[in-house]
Amino acid sequence: MRLEKCYFCSSTIYPGHGTVFVRNDCKIFRFCRSKCHKNFKIKRNPRKIKWTKAFRKAAGKELAIDNAFEFEKKRNVPVKYDRQLWSNTVRAMKRIEEIRSKRQDLHIKNRLKPDKQLRKEAELKEVKQGITLIAPPVEKRKLGQKISQVMREAESMETED
Amino acid sequence: MGRLRRKRMHKNDKHLKKKYRTKRRTKDLDQIHEDMQPKNAAKTEITSVRYGSTRLRTVLLRYFIDEKSLKDHIKSRVHRKKVKMLKDVPYTPEEAERAAGMGSYTLTSTKPLLPVSQDEDMTSTENVESVGT
Repeated sequence: MRLEKCYFCSSTIYPGHGTVFVRNDCKIFRFCRSKCHKNFKIKRNPRKIKWTKAFRKAAGKELAIDNAFEFEKKRNVPVKYDRQLWSNTVRAMKRIEEIRSKRQDLHIKNRLKPDKQLRKEAELKEVKQGITLIAPPVEKRKLGQKISQVMREAESMETED
Repeated sequence: MGRLRRKRMHKNDKHLKKKYRTKRRTKDLDQIHEDMQPKNAAKTEITSVRYGSTRLRTVLLRYFIDEKSLKDHIKSRVHRKKVKMLKDVPYTPEEAERAAGMGSYTLTSTKPLLPVSQDEDMTSTENVESVGT
């Protein structure tokens, strides 16, 4: 039993699922579902479509280069059944998957790290730009002050009113 | 308020449906890319005379009735866009497998494969001159 990969979204295709298209130059294209087949027919490039694995890896969203990917391969050599080998393989698969997912999580965590800082900066910028909305127009000399001071003044003015 | 229509919503999509069928499918980008390789250059020069008018062919494998329409097409956005897309390494089933986790995925596509001068050749002035009459 061979688990194929979808041409478009790279998901696994189990036996009995999906569509195969053989182009007139004998190239084989496998699709996991009609969505992928349709997208192929309108000649879309999977690298440019956000929901495909190719896009996510090309854009650095997911872990792309790693040793953990070197185990799953097309092996065109038949192997005689061996219980020991079988159980070892299954154990290895589980372990590899564990390691891979750990690395993947770390990759995403690292990727999102700068986000916190950026968000803080954006918020600060917004406050700076919109401060006049809550306080009366700030005079030039006050512009040099810290934002917290301006805010405090605005608050005190409100309470006075 | 009357009944909302439930049938024949896509009656007029026939041209689209025909376009996207796999019967009489036009060449994919990777096939065109293959044709554009220097070793296959001879293939791309196929043009034929038919019904008294010259049929000219560009890199997009489209046929034109005369030189003027060919030149207009080369200037067009469709053509320029396609030529730009052709500069990437074409996407293959192998790449799909690598993206799925069978091997590491490295993107080489952003590098232009074809040198600029050759690209101009393909987009055709030379072809036109050689076959135009």
